[in-house]
Amino acid sequence: MTKGPLVRMTGIGKRFGGVHACRDIDLTVTAGEVHALLGENGAGKSTLINILSGVITEYDGTIEVDGRTVAFGGPADAQRAGIATIHQELDLVAGLSIAENMFLGREPRTRLGTVDTRRMRRQAAEHLRTLGADLDPRRLVGSLRVGEQQLVEIGRALSLDARVLIMDEPTAALADAEVDRLFATIAELRRAGVGIVYISHRMAEIEVVADRVTVLRNGGVAGTVDPRTASRDEIIQLMVGRSVDALYGEGRNEPGDVLLDVRGLAVTPRRPTPGRTEPAGVDLTVRSGEIVGLAGLMGAGRTELLETLFGAGGAGRRSGAVTIDGRPYRPRGPRSALARGVAFVPEDRRGAGLMLEHSVTDNVVLSALSSLTALGVVRRTAVRRTVAEQLRALAVKAASPAVAAATLSGGNQQKIVFAKQLLTRPRLLLLDEPTRGVDIGAKAEIYRLLHRLADTGMAILLASSELPELLSLCDRVVVLHRGRTVATLPRASATQQAILAAANGDDAKEAR
Amino acid sequence: MNPPNPTAVAEAPPETPPRRPLRLPRDRHAIVDSFFRFQSLFGLVAVFLIAIAVSPVRNGENVFLSSGNLANIVRAVSEIGIIAVGMTFVILIGGIDLSVGAVLGLAAVGSATLMVNSGLGILPTVLIVLFIGTAFGATQGAIVARLGIQSFIVTLAGLQAARGIARMWSGGLGIPIAYGDGPQEAPEAFSLLSGSINGVLPVPAVLFLAIGVGALLVLRSTAFARHVYAIGGNEKAARLSGVPVRRVRITVFAISGLLAALAGIIHAGQLNQGSPNDGAGYELDAIAAVVIGGTSLAGGSGSMGGTIAGALLLGILNNILALNNIDANVQLVVKGLVIVAAAALQKLRPRIA
Repeated sequence: MTKGPLVRMTGIGKRFGGVHACRDIDLTVTAGEVHALLGENGAGKSTLINILSGVITEYDGTIEVDGRTVAFGGPADAQRAGIATIHQELDLVAGLSIAENMFLGREPRTRLGTVDTRRMRRQAAEHLRTLGADLDPRRLVGSLRVGEQQLVEIGRALSLDARVLIMDEPTAALADAEVDRLFATIAELRRAGVGIVYISHRMAEIEVVADRVTVLRNGGVAGTVDPRTASRDEIIQLMVGRSVDALYGEGRNEPGDVLLDVRGLAVTPRRPTPGRTEPAGVDLTVRSGEIVGLAGLMGAGRTELLETLFGAGGAGRRSGAVTIDGRPYRPRGPRSALARGVAFVPEDRRGAGLMLEHSVTDNVVLSALSSLTALGVVRRTAVRRTVAEQLRALAVKAASPAVAAATLSGGNQQKIVFAKQLLTRPRLLLLDEPTRGVDIGAKAEIYRLLHRLADTGMAILLASSELPELLSLCDRVVVLHRGRTVATLPRASATQQAILAAANGDDAKEAR
Repeated sequence: MNPPNPTAVAEAPPETPPRRPLRLPRDRHAIVDSFFRFQSLFGLVAVFLIAIAVSPVRNGENVFLSSGNLANIVRAVSEIGIIAVGMTFVILIGGIDLSVGAVLGLAAVGSATLMVNSGLGILPTVLIVLFIGTAFGATQGAIVARLGIQSFIVTLAGLQAARGIARMWSGGLGIPIAYGDGPQEAPEAFSLLSGSINGVLPVPAVLFLAIGVGALLVLRSTAFARHVYAIGGNEKAARLSGVPVRRVRITVFAISGLLAALAGIIHAGQLNQGSPNDGAGYELDAIAAVVIGGTSLAGGSGSMGGTIAGALLLGILNNILALNNIDANVQLVVKGLVIVAAAALQKLRPRIA
């Protein structure tokens, strides 16, 4: 632990099928260092982290901890070697106290074999003090705010004698004050000689906390720089590269009349939910035949905006004006949205898009049943014909329409969700990360489909974290930041740099 | 269109003329799967054959197979069966209705009181009682749907409330139904509920089978049923797909309440009385029938055919054990084993291909 890096990863590679998720990556973490990992979605960050934390056990290359080569058989091995991970989704039990969570599964015992509650609390309190957190270890984790829960996770890592801490988007769900607190904690950890791998999309943060930045692109290392000397533009350049593919197809017809018009849309939630960014001043228009992109960092409120427009957001007071075809639009729920010709493809395909155990047919027709029934009775022939048509039109690969949706690949599942929504004959299609977890071939098909739909006059509003996707697909890109529209970039002036700068823009001002 | 539903398998794709069950299964998996789909039917046949085999023989006649005995069986299962039909809808959306036994008691009391004490005719009595049951179920459904409280809790509360109302209404005592034209007498026609058609088919059994077949068709063919399955399969996806989740929820509990009330009317007709304690524990038998029928308590998959078979299976089981003079307590244990066996078989069912 004295000399040399804590962790040295050399020549790390990992393939999924034919796709290189990681290629020949070198990464070191030294004691007391914050090493930031940057990259777009799909650049290989998660794969690399999963390898380091023992989740992925088969890979090329070597990992050394304290100069000794290790081969983790699972996350428990990695933890024993002192590598702890704070996931974006925290792994805590809400119904247990802070102390109980910290020592879950390895509770200290008294001589009688019962849990030594006093010792557990004392030790938990010590760890919390180290982190500068003034929390009673008896409090239930469920009563803590997200930032505080994160501290509990970090405390648990400390109680495991972790020397390397992987933090995956730790600020994504935090309020400003909590971010300050987290940075103070990170400074504390650094002084204690802990090495930190810090993953974030937020440039401003990285400039504040990181000692080194390694940028990943397409599964490889694009470069490692010192954030104090490298400019933000340089880093963005590294992230983005120059590759823009022919993946996305060509430009299209002139757009038609304004279909969706949103002015100053804001929602005051009845019960604020941590991690949700409700619309707080959104302006945008979508014309018929137009594809408009929604860009923004994690937590910028893209999903929440789409949900609000579909009537599926959280309960709350809405202000601002939304019109469709110039008439006021205020959906009471997904049903009334669909009735106005608005359809929505949610981000969480498995959780919110599909009934996985049900057949392809059942899934495809669910939204359009009213047009396929006579006196409430489903017309089977019509259903069969409609489903067959849809599957053919979208080139869905399924053994038969009777197989369960769960048996299909991610891309084909996504096409099923599309098919379901398209059957409602929408005029406005809201898409949330439509190509996430979809292989490259299906991606290209989805892009072609979107072009085709736009050509028929459909208005499309598409949220995506993949900048190349937004740039090549969209006629305009609307950039959100903390629930507000901060920029609207027409195709001509939309560049990855411009989008990232806008998405980060206010971050810079708020950076401490 | 096919939910995991035995009856719906009979539907054929357009280009392939032979109907699906008749077509040679493509692989062993398909055979295995159809066994599990028809599990309760196989179970029913097996129990039926075993019953014939172990039935006592009197005067050279198989007692179990005698028409009188078979009629007894269907008569005995009809009330539970009707309740189980409603319960199937509730369980398909991932809920449970514990109040049905108590609603049956309330309906039995209501039938007796309205006819005997209030002097109402059969039709008004039946309509009022059915309305009470439906409203009771719908109220529970509304509480579940609006407040988001688990149906187990809401209907547990409903169970207590319905019993309490029944006791208050009846003064805590059973109300005997005497037939005739005088005051304090119910119309003679009401006793038809304890009779048989042509002296063979018990009226309650006919009602059960009619309702069962009706529900089976509803579940097979209607958009409402698609919505029911969708809510049980993935409520969030259903909501985002425009399924009127609340309305379907309320409807489903209303159906359950309606059918429980109908079972209560039949109960009063068969026993010639309405007691506030009638139907105690029926909810559990109904749930057992649904589970034996292969419907998942998690919701989203199951069938009405399974439930009907499950109810009949339980009836035959009780009957054959009784015919062989097996202690009633042993019967309970056997019933428990059958329920566990049915659930275990569902666990063995291979996951999606």
